[in-house]
Amino acid sequence: MDSWVRFNAQSQAKERVIRAAQYACTLLGYTLKKGGAAAELHKTISQLEAHMSLTRKLLRLGNSVEALEAAKRAIHLSDSVLRLCLTISHLNKAMYFACDNVLWAGKTGLISKLDQQKWSQRSFRYYLFALILNLTRDVYELRLLLESEERYRASKSPPSPYPSTTLPADSLSSSSSSPAAPATITLPVMSAWLSRRLHLLGMVLYNNPPLLLDLLKNSCDIFIPLDRLGIYPTGQGFVGACGLASSILSILTIINPWLKLKP
Amino acid sequence: MDAFVKFTNQSQGRDRIFRATQYACALSIYLLRNTSERKDLVAKLKSLEATMSAGRKLFRLGNTINSIEAAKRTMRLSDRVLGLCLTAANINRALYFICDNALWARSVGLIRDIDKERWSLNASRCYFLSLVMHLTRDVYVVIQLMAQKVRDKHFRQKMDQHLSENPEVVEVVVPQLDAFLFLLLESLKSHPAVALDTLKNICDLFIPLDRLGIYQSNAGVVGFCGLMSSLIGILTLTQPELRIKP
Repeated sequence: MDSWVRFNAQSQAKERVIRAAQYACTLLGYTLKKGGAAAELHKTISQLEAHMSLTRKLLRLGNSVEALEAAKRAIHLSDSVLRLCLTISHLNKAMYFACDNVLWAGKTGLISKLDQQKWSQRSFRYYLFALILNLTRDVYELRLLLESEERYRASKSPPSPYPSTTLPADSLSSSSSSPAAPATITLPVMSAWLSRRLHLLGMVLYNNPPLLLDLLKNSCDIFIPLDRLGIYPTGQGFVGACGLASSILSILTIINPWLKLKP
Repeated sequence: MDAFVKFTNQSQGRDRIFRATQYACALSIYLLRNTSERKDLVAKLKSLEATMSAGRKLFRLGNTINSIEAAKRTMRLSDRVLGLCLTAANINRALYFICDNALWARSVGLIRDIDKERWSLNASRCYFLSLVMHLTRDVYVVIQLMAQKVRDKHFRQKMDQHLSENPEVVEVVVPQLDAFLFLLLESLKSHPAVALDTLKNICDLFIPLDRLGIYQSNAGVVGFCGLMSSLIGILTLTQPELRIKP
């Protein structure tokens, strides 16, 4: 109960819960339409979704300032790639929130003649750029961790003779055999290398839950603007499921702050 | 900017800003109601007020639990009267939030067959009772402060000086009333948190009084009082020393 009060006191936490509910409504609306449910129920669900979307826009009214502050903080990072990715990502987020505020003003009637479609597309474009930069940062961090893990493994165990002797042996045998043989022999080598890499990747991600969560969250989130901009249309159901999954993941990072990727 | 971010990060901070905007819109609509050339502005303000009100109802969805937790905390206070007032206020606040949640569900269409008017009146009644309890607490704290001040020798000297330097006032006004008012004002001046809380609760009280028909004022008064109480609320959030404890 006490943890709920602390959770509730954060504005961002409430916004995430409402986001989860909004995308759950999207998913529910899609399944109801597929299942051929009553039009009345479907109308209620879509009205609820629109109400939550508008309220979230209201809640986000101050977030441009927050994103600008985060961009100012990100400029001071030591790692140049991280600095670049995070600063531009936060700036794009600030632009996204600004477009979102204009959309809210248009939807509530404060600005009378607003081309909502144009501003909506604009806001999704900024959101997409921000997500691409976040994913770039995730991949960069992952690469750094993979490299350090490989170096650690190489230093921990001396290079075993087994793999190095089999390779030249294979290549020796392959050079004497017919030209068609190299393709069939390199394939098991390739798959062994791939499985080793995947195993390493899995281990690195398992040992770094913040990075894993952030990667999953951004991957789920990216389908939303991709669908809305028409670049990769996936449909309401998939968008709703992705939105719900990413909202739940971000609620997890709010409840357990150690799961948040720093910086 | 950093202070603004920290303020709006608190759920209460944003809610108070939206409440201030909502009542500012209500006040502006009342003031502009007779001007014909500002009709579209009035329409925009009405739409903004409705959006703020609907949005705030959605944010308040989890506040019942907050109030119940607050009631549990105030039950354990050492001062019995204070504990009773605050617990009763928090329980009424929790009931108000339950009615408010039901009204929200009705407005989005999740629940269809509830009597909107009856639930709205119940919500106003619970809110009114919680405000009365808060005011009772304020009066109790002020009486305690005044009793404390009367015992203070330094203050008694000050009062004697005040009473002796305005002889013509003393003749016109009943001396005991003058002394009482002086004591009251000095107590409130020395504890601005209590004064602000009392003012906030009195302003807030006009809203359910008008809604329940006990003291019909007009939409302008309601808007003005709501705006005042929201601004005081924002002030107490930005300056935590101005917030009444507990």
